[in-house]
Amino acid sequence: MSVFGYGIAVVGASIAIGLAAFAAATSTARQPEVRGNLFQIFILAAAFTEALGLIGFVLALIKG
Amino acid sequence: MGPFDELTGELDHLIQTLISQTIVGNDVIGLTQFHLYFFLAIIILCIVAFTAAKKTSLVPKGRFVNMVESVFEYLRANVVDSVLGPEGRKHAPFLITLFFFILINNYLGNIPGSKPGTGGIGFNFALATISFIYFVVAGVKAHGALGYVVSLAPSGLALPIRILVWAIEVFSTLLRIFTLAFRLFANLFAGHIVLGAFSILASLFFIPLIQSFTINNLVGALPSLGWMLILIFIWTLEIVVSTVQALVFTLLSAVYIKLAEQAH
Repeated sequence: MSVFGYGIAVVGASIAIGLAAFAAATSTARQPEVRGNLFQIFILAAAFTEALGLIGFVLALIKG
Repeated sequence: MGPFDELTGELDHLIQTLISQTIVGNDVIGLTQFHLYFFLAIIILCIVAFTAAKKTSLVPKGRFVNMVESVFEYLRANVVDSVLGPEGRKHAPFLITLFFFILINNYLGNIPGSKPGTGGIGFNFALATISFIYFVVAGVKAHGALGYVVSLAPSGLALPIRILVWAIEVFSTLLRIFTLAFRLFANLFAGHIVLGAFSILASLFFIPLIQSFTINNLVGALPSLGWMLILIFIWTLEIVVSTVQALVFTLLSAVYIKLAEQAH
């Protein structure tokens, strides 16, 4: 059951990372010179959202 | 009984080996299975740092020194300078040591058969607490003890709302220890469980072939090749994740130092 819960939880995290990657890719296409800064922002945003998904993953495994 | 039925039991065993367990001493003061790799990482870090520092010259010579210096300069430009600005260079030694230490720990875990020092939750809480103390001290140095506590809430608000915002800010600041530690732990833990699951799958399909060599078992062992390919792919991904997580930890520490130092 907890695996299904994780499946539902990861939808939010994946949408968030997708949005971050989409924005980073679009901005890089529009203004390639700020690529370095954008990469940093993207990594930070991805780290924040990815942590939520991973907490779900670990909980699903621990709770069985 | 097919290979997939055995997977659940094997996975439980795998998770048991990845959760911190005391080997020497008791639960309060003792060593877990992660400590060996953690001390190994300290030794490797010392060797890397001292070898690189011994050979410093104006123009870096040799592959090893160049490698360490290029990583150092990348971090100084992209983490320290771009987040903290040029006056934040005094924090560079702390942040870059943090990066190298986490990186070596994570990479140790990628060697088959070994565990990452950062795979234990207690170790990550210790690292996060060090980072927490560092940015609080940086904030206290910039604003004074009382000034730092007050500066947690943005100025220019009505007093009742300011107190409310201050309480929320204190809570979210304390939560940073938890999120920093848990992000690193969860990434490493999850990564190693996925790696372990695919290596277990690869071996489970292969075992019947070793026991008796028949055509039937040979066909049954074919999925093993596929699992191996996925395993190698995920392994490569894990190496990337190890690097990115070390970078993220350093970057977040830099951002927290920046937030503590600047006035709201």
